Amino acid sequence: MKRIILYLEWGSILGLLACGLWIFLKLPLETSQGFPQKIMYLHVPTFFSTYLAFFVVFTFSIAYLWKRELVFDQIAKASAEVGLVFCALLLVTGAIWGRTTWGTYWVWDARLTTTLLLFLIFLGYFLLRMSVNDRDKEARLASVLGIIGCLDIPIIHKSVQWWRTLHQPSTLFKVESGAAKPSMPPELLYPLIASVVVMLIFYLYLLLLRLQTEKRRETLNELLAEIQN
Amino acid sequence: MTVFFYTPAEVLASPDEFENKTIRIGALVQKDSVEWDAQAIELSFKITEDSKIFIPVFYAGVKPDLFREGQGVVVEGKMKGELFVAGQLLVKHSEEYTVETDNKKSKEDYYRSIQAQ
Repeated sequence: MKRIILYLEWGSILGLLACGLWIFLKLPLETSQGFPQKIMYLHVPTFFSTYLAFFVVFTFSIAYLWKRELVFDQIAKASAEVGLVFCALLLVTGAIWGRTTWGTYWVWDARLTTTLLLFLIFLGYFLLRMSVNDRDKEARLASVLGIIGCLDIPIIHKSVQWWRTLHQPSTLFKVESGAAKPSMPPELLYPLIASVVVMLIFYLYLLLLRLQTEKRRETLNELLAEIQN
Repeated sequence: MTVFFYTPAEVLASPDEFENKTIRIGALVQKDSVEWDAQAIELSFKITEDSKIFIPVFYAGVKPDLFREGQGVVVEGKMKGELFVAGQLLVKHSEEYTVETDNKKSKEDYYRSIQAQ
């Protein structure tokens, strides 16, 4: 696992560097927004990572409840932590972008509110974990909350279609007459796809790093308990 | 039903219900309707969805960078008779992204325009 983490680490460093240079030196300016459009290359990859992180939480929470293997809960916990950081980044980059384009950092429209809700649910998730002393009970309760919390993801994703929002509908998942048709020219689209891939690599790096720490911590706790007995 | 914003048609359909209530209306800025008084910092324009039903809007504040004719906006304020007096003007941006073909020139224009501000 050490070796994979090292590869992912260098993959993220080089990838972020390459994307940054590409975006700021090579890319044409978007017609209506100009320079501020570039924050899209941070905002959109962040939401992909947030979605993936909480999808992993969802999957491994179910896996834990089913198989009762502690490692599944460790993965869910690590992913939720990383996901929470990405979700915070998502809200912050969105607010900055919103200020320059909409003219406000924040509005209580459905997209923004449901995203904030996700952030708050998973803050509560960690409070719950901290408040339970029994490791198995903690895992059980956290799994249930993790599964329920992740149900917010499809609501976030569909919010721009279900309700009237200030946030614009999706650019990348646009479908026209049954076929996927992202509404941006290739010179803006390709670097966006590259940024998404790099951000997902960065997510995997953070996840595995966190999981490694978590496993070491549990081993340490077990050893300490043995000594005390 | 609570919605984030109403459409002009919904507001005009029941004027009594919306009179003197703080609401948001979302629509497009009608072509050739924008009057911007840079001295008084006052902006007047008409919003519409279909170029048939209009609501005139008055906004005492700075014109946002992305505000232009045909652009989607969300205004927050109150109906005063026929006129909508807005306290907040938000620009809705489209999910469509485009680049100019003559890109080098537009980049230079853009940087010149922000230096001029």
